[in-house]
Amino acid sequence: MSEPMLSVDKLEVVYQRAITALQGISLGVAPGQIVGVLGTNGAGKSTLLRAISGFHGVDDARVTEGTIRFEGRRIENGEPHRNTRAGIALVPERDKVFPNLTVAENLSVPVASSGSRADMSRRQALVFHHFPRLGDLRARTAGLLSGGERQMLAIAGALMCGPKLLLVDELSLGLAPVIVSDIMQKLVQIRRELSLTMIVVEQSAAVALAVVDYGYVLENGRVVLDGDATRLRDHPDIREFYLGQSSAGGRRSYRTVKQYRRNRRWYG
Amino acid sequence: MQLAVNIAVLASIYALIACGYVLIYRVSRVLNLAHGELMMLAAYLLLTTASSFAGHPLFAISAAIGLSILVGAMVYLFLMRKMTGEMALAAVLATVALGVLLRGITVIVWSAQQQYPATALGLVNPSIALPGGARISLCGALLVACTAVAYGSLLAFLRFGRWGVRMRAAGQSPLLAAQRGINLHAIYAIAWSLSTFTGAMAGMLIALDSGLGQTMTIIGLKAFPAALVGGLDSLAGALAGSLIVAAAEVLLIHYVDPLLSEVVPFLVLIAMLVVRPWGLFGTREELDRV
Ligand SMILES: Nc1ncnc2c1ncn2[C@@H]1O[C@H](COP(=O)(O)OP(=O)(O)OP(=O)(O)O)[C@@H](O)[C@H]1O
Ligand SMILES: [Mg+2]
Repeated sequence: MSEPMLSVDKLEVVYQRAITALQGISLGVAPGQIVGVLGTNGAGKSTLLRAISGFHGVDDARVTEGTIRFEGRRIENGEPHRNTRAGIALVPERDKVFPNLTVAENLSVPVASSGSRADMSRRQALVFHHFPRLGDLRARTAGLLSGGERQMLAIAGALMCGPKLLLVDELSLGLAPVIVSDIMQKLVQIRRELSLTMIVVEQSAAVALAVVDYGYVLENGRVVLDGDATRLRDHPDIREFYLGQSSAGGRRSYRTVKQYRRNRRWYG
Repeated sequence: MQLAVNIAVLASIYALIACGYVLIYRVSRVLNLAHGELMMLAAYLLLTTASSFAGHPLFAISAAIGLSILVGAMVYLFLMRKMTGEMALAAVLATVALGVLLRGITVIVWSAQQQYPATALGLVNPSIALPGGARISLCGALLVACTAVAYGSLLAFLRFGRWGVRMRAAGQSPLLAAQRGINLHAIYAIAWSLSTFTGAMAGMLIALDSGLGQTMTIIGLKAFPAALVGGLDSLAGALAGSLIVAAAEVLLIHYVDPLLSEVVPFLVLIAMLVVRPWGLFGTREELDRV
């Protein structure tokens, strides 16, 4: 495996100096990879992405242990705008657009990491090419957009930052499955054109496992399982809890279950 | 006719001061209760630069404006930076303390006497006759013009300027703005500088027009209702609020009792708070804050 672009090592995140949300999280993302982070509500997925993108004062959150390295430089507890300019852009779970600005204004807000004008307008053209709907809605106030349009705008806004690493938090949240697969497809296409590296956070394993190269499963702030997409897809626990399939197909051998338990203990 | 001119001049004064309150509140949700004192400080700085650059009024004025912009940025960087965005109450209290401090400093440095920067600069302030028999002082006319230019350029900047749009974005959602690569400290420092800049213009013009003393902070305080009446986060609202407050003040002074002058803005404010607590432009501005 090539040198990781992002490496997270034994990360611990504490909210309000008291609530431990992540513990001993380690993961690596190689350039060009799509890495998925799965987990149920409250597992700590958003916290992980927020830790990578940088906490803001009002979050009252801190990385208390461990490190995050991006292209070799340590960025844990860095300010969000610095991390963005270093090349990490986030599509947040909530508050993902500026509701009182128009679509066009939303896209002019980002301060690009490689800030040349020509680069910005090239990027904007790319965004409108892949999301033509946003072009039609240029003058619309973002607060009035539908969920799908808002998600497109959020992705477009993150892309306008000129990232190398794109973090996407719950693309599928509150969207119809057709729209989700449509946006996901566009995203994969854009990623190829811009040679982006991505981390996608999902509750819906079906959405994530369709596109990721490698995945991690979080539970109560710890990694309980990781592996490439095929391994995760075939894993009985994933099939049962995340894909909603019964594991009656006889594939659930005693050995894999034990391995899962063992993984659990390792990371815990 | 003279009444209309008086209203226009007073409304310009209030509006030029009020936009300072609005700018800072809108971008960082902090009420700057030291705005009147910062404005007064600018006028006193003009007094000092006037004696250092004798014979160059424009030079002295630009130096004083430059200094006050610097003061505004410093206030943010050294005092407000820690509090902005996190502790709203602490931030407001800090501005109150700053105001008291500035008042003390100006008395110690420049004494509490009424002073006249216009004489120090060697400027005259002739009264100009307007069609219709009304008269306006040169400084009054300048005030109206400055306010018009200030509002025109601020509105254009916020609407079309790249950094103006970013300021609006930061005001709406600081976290997302930071995640989009915007340095919030830079944005807040710009807001403080712009705010002290407009305040300084107001302070200097008032001082040139009618002299300078500790009472200037009261003018600053009286402009606060004007900003509040407009909804506090809308420039257009501040303009409308200033007109309302100024009109009420001038008319009541003229037809009822000159002693009312000090209380009228606050009467208007109270009436407003009873009828429309969110301010004149409050609700609509929730969706479209320009
Ligand atoms: N600002 C906060 N202050 C205190 N605790 C928080 C805060 N944000 C999140 N938490 C806690 O941290 C844990 C992880 O939350 P997080 O939002 O990362 O979960 P998640 O995996 O993204 O869940 P979901 O799928 O519902 O979005 C939860 O127990 C949550 O209560
Ligand atoms: Mg989440």
